[in-house]
Amino acid sequence: MMNKEILTSARTGDSCIHVKHSSGLDIYICEMNDFSSIEALIGTKYGSVNNIFKNAADSDYTTVPEGIAHFLEHKLFENEDCGVFELYARTGASCNAFTSFDKTCYLFSCSKNYEENLKILLEFVQKPYFTKENVDKEMGIIGQEIKMTNDNPEWRVFFNMLRGMYHNHPIKIDIVGTADSIAQIDADLLYKCYDAFYNLNNMVLSIAGNISADKVLEICDKYLKPSEDKGLETVFPDEPAEIVTAEITEKQPVGASIFQLGYKCTPSKGEQRLKDVAAASTAAALITDPALPMCERLLKEEIINSTFDGEVFYGGGYFTVYFSGESDRPRDIREAVFAEIERLINEGIREKDFQRIKKTAYGMMIRGLNNVEAVANLMLTAHMDNVGPYDTIDVLSDLTCDDVIDYMRREMRPDRSVLSVITKEA
Amino acid sequence: MIYKRSDLGNNIGFNSMIDKKFKTCSLAVYFLTELSDDTAAANNLAASILTVSSSKYKTYAALSEKLSELYGAGLGSSARKKGDAQILGLRASWIHNRYAIDGEDIGGEMRQLIRDCIFSPNAENGAFDEKSFAMVKKDLIDRIDGKLNQKRSYALSQAAKLAYRGEPAEGTGYGSKEAALSATPEEAFRAYRELLKTAQIEIYYVSPEEDDGFAEMFRTSFAGIDRQPKPVSVRNHSPLKAEVETVSEEFDVNQCKAVLAFKTDSDDRYALKMLSIIYGELPFSKLFLNVREKMSLCYYCASRSISVKGTFFVDLGVERSNIEKAKAEILAQLEEVKKGNITDYEMQGALMALDNAVLQVGDTPISYIGWYLDCFCDGEAITPEEHFNRFKAVTKERIVEAANSLKLDSIYLMLNKEVQA
Repeated sequence: MMNKEILTSARTGDSCIHVKHSSGLDIYICEMNDFSSIEALIGTKYGSVNNIFKNAADSDYTTVPEGIAHFLEHKLFENEDCGVFELYARTGASCNAFTSFDKTCYLFSCSKNYEENLKILLEFVQKPYFTKENVDKEMGIIGQEIKMTNDNPEWRVFFNMLRGMYHNHPIKIDIVGTADSIAQIDADLLYKCYDAFYNLNNMVLSIAGNISADKVLEICDKYLKPSEDKGLETVFPDEPAEIVTAEITEKQPVGASIFQLGYKCTPSKGEQRLKDVAAASTAAALITDPALPMCERLLKEEIINSTFDGEVFYGGGYFTVYFSGESDRPRDIREAVFAEIERLINEGIREKDFQRIKKTAYGMMIRGLNNVEAVANLMLTAHMDNVGPYDTIDVLSDLTCDDVIDYMRREMRPDRSVLSVITKEA
Repeated sequence: MIYKRSDLGNNIGFNSMIDKKFKTCSLAVYFLTELSDDTAAANNLAASILTVSSSKYKTYAALSEKLSELYGAGLGSSARKKGDAQILGLRASWIHNRYAIDGEDIGGEMRQLIRDCIFSPNAENGAFDEKSFAMVKKDLIDRIDGKLNQKRSYALSQAAKLAYRGEPAEGTGYGSKEAALSATPEEAFRAYRELLKTAQIEIYYVSPEEDDGFAEMFRTSFAGIDRQPKPVSVRNHSPLKAEVETVSEEFDVNQCKAVLAFKTDSDDRYALKMLSIIYGELPFSKLFLNVREKMSLCYYCASRSISVKGTFFVDLGVERSNIEKAKAEILAQLEEVKKGNITDYEMQGALMALDNAVLQVGDTPISYIGWYLDCFCDGEAITPEEHFNRFKAVTKERIVEAANSLKLDSIYLMLNKEVQA
């Protein structure tokens, strides 16, 4: 038994299939048979922020060490008899996994044998094998990964910004954890997390490319083991709207100083979040638009270079619009951004500029639908955000100048901004 | 997909790839020239400036405004090295007209815009516009300074500098900081004129529909240019140093990096690539399974074969106290291959991975362009399938021979300051 629906974009004509499988898993399939490749991801709504949780039957919440979701991702690649990489070596697929703040995903990319590759994917995520020996072995590898990420200035500048914004929310914690936190992880804790979060009701499969939807569903029917929905709950500590500190600077051995200037915004969910993302992204695009006077001046005065960019970053309980780039004068940029937002709020956005920015966003979406990997990622991310894969296009068409002005006025407040800087060592 | 290469005359190739599955059009113009420290930075600045303004759109603001009106069409430049050649690129992409909400002729507008950028740049009296020049110059200097921000790629670049000392490939594809600092709008304009006159030029157009407009535009525009193309030598094996040389730098970093550079006199690039996959490119390779998984020494330890230079690199991130242990294991695993310890599973795995990768060529416009540009640089236009058949023909003996041809040439180390070995 399964519920099947076809989702279509009225604007582009693209479509995909969504199935609520009887096992509990949500499945998204996009047949793109003119392409050679196939991209599949299976993801769980489990990332570095989900450190306090319980099932409905549990009396108390369990708190686990930082970095455990990422550690679990590493360990799920080992079966009892052999490693997953070894299985994929036999099919030629390229496989990988990643852990973010709010999800863990396992993926493969191939152009042949997708049926076998899908079977391997579905089987190994349902078959954990954690032992003291294989957990201990991973400590050295992840220890090196932690050191590598600590030497990455883009990573550091981002986390410093989040630390400047969030008092309590675990978003401020590094995804990979620390040497001390991962030292507390053992096989029992990994099983506990696995049992809670790798329940198929908490997961989604997304597959796009040169495939047959019927074949995909046939494989799912055969290899998915029904999961009982245990009413998983995750909680986050209360988070005030105020920031922790307005400025954080760290010295690192870098050749070019970099910065991030972010606004702590009100988090939202589902459709409201889609609207907030559209408004915030448009605001960010306006601020970083080289055709507008602020950027033109900062480029001319050599305060910024072409790396200046804006982004929106969000998830359960966190939302920020931030600007980043290379600069030796980040405070001047902050001042300019404050003034530009005030100007846009007071003077309004020229309709011509607004339409250009909307057209650019629309063009980006069309480009995304041109690519198998991007389509598979789009379907997965949309599901995790509780929206449809093509909803963004519709929300964007309905967006008005007033929505963007209103968003800037409400959310992009100087007292909610954090400037994070990585400067060159003297 | 329909692929066609037309000769526009004067050593200019126009490659068109028509593939109805795409929703976008892409254009890339590549200038191949000798890599030299004297010209690399000026060439890079010349290519960059063509994408920030033109005689019609005289400022970056005006050009950016136009591109965003065209649904965020992309326009950018690139500079890289391949062997001893510098490849300068101008790339553009835009959504196909059928997706234009207001029925605009995006393709037609992009054709005119690109024509102006390349053939009617923002220049007067033998010099590029000073404001545009200042912007791209700052970008280039920042890019050169910013190399150190990415520790792994910085280490690889320093290793290449050490391995190729005294050769054109010693430098980066975008020139030295000294050359960038001293460059002038006049010098960049001279570099631009020289590129139009002497570079090998290959143009790539990927679209869902046939359209002769771009080929015609380039044919007409180049007709007025006095072309005297110079041959470019991409493939030059780098000589082996008399003694293994080690260079180290200290930084305040958490993780040390080590890069081992080997040299080979083998021209068997298919065997060298198979060797690299079996030895260190994938998660079933010997380096991953032993240095990472068995010994837990690192997060990454990987190899790559640069056949145009007869070079083979292995790099890893590691504790300072474990560098020698890791190096010993890296060399021990190479000895295993040299002794012929290659399983059928490894051979099959390498071929399967190559088969999957080769079949994916053509799934994105950029993969088509990359494929045919590589073919051009190699002086041989073959299909991905033919390419794969050459890998299939590689025997274990050829891989062992390739492994035995590798000789350690030099080692680059990025060390941390706190921990002493």
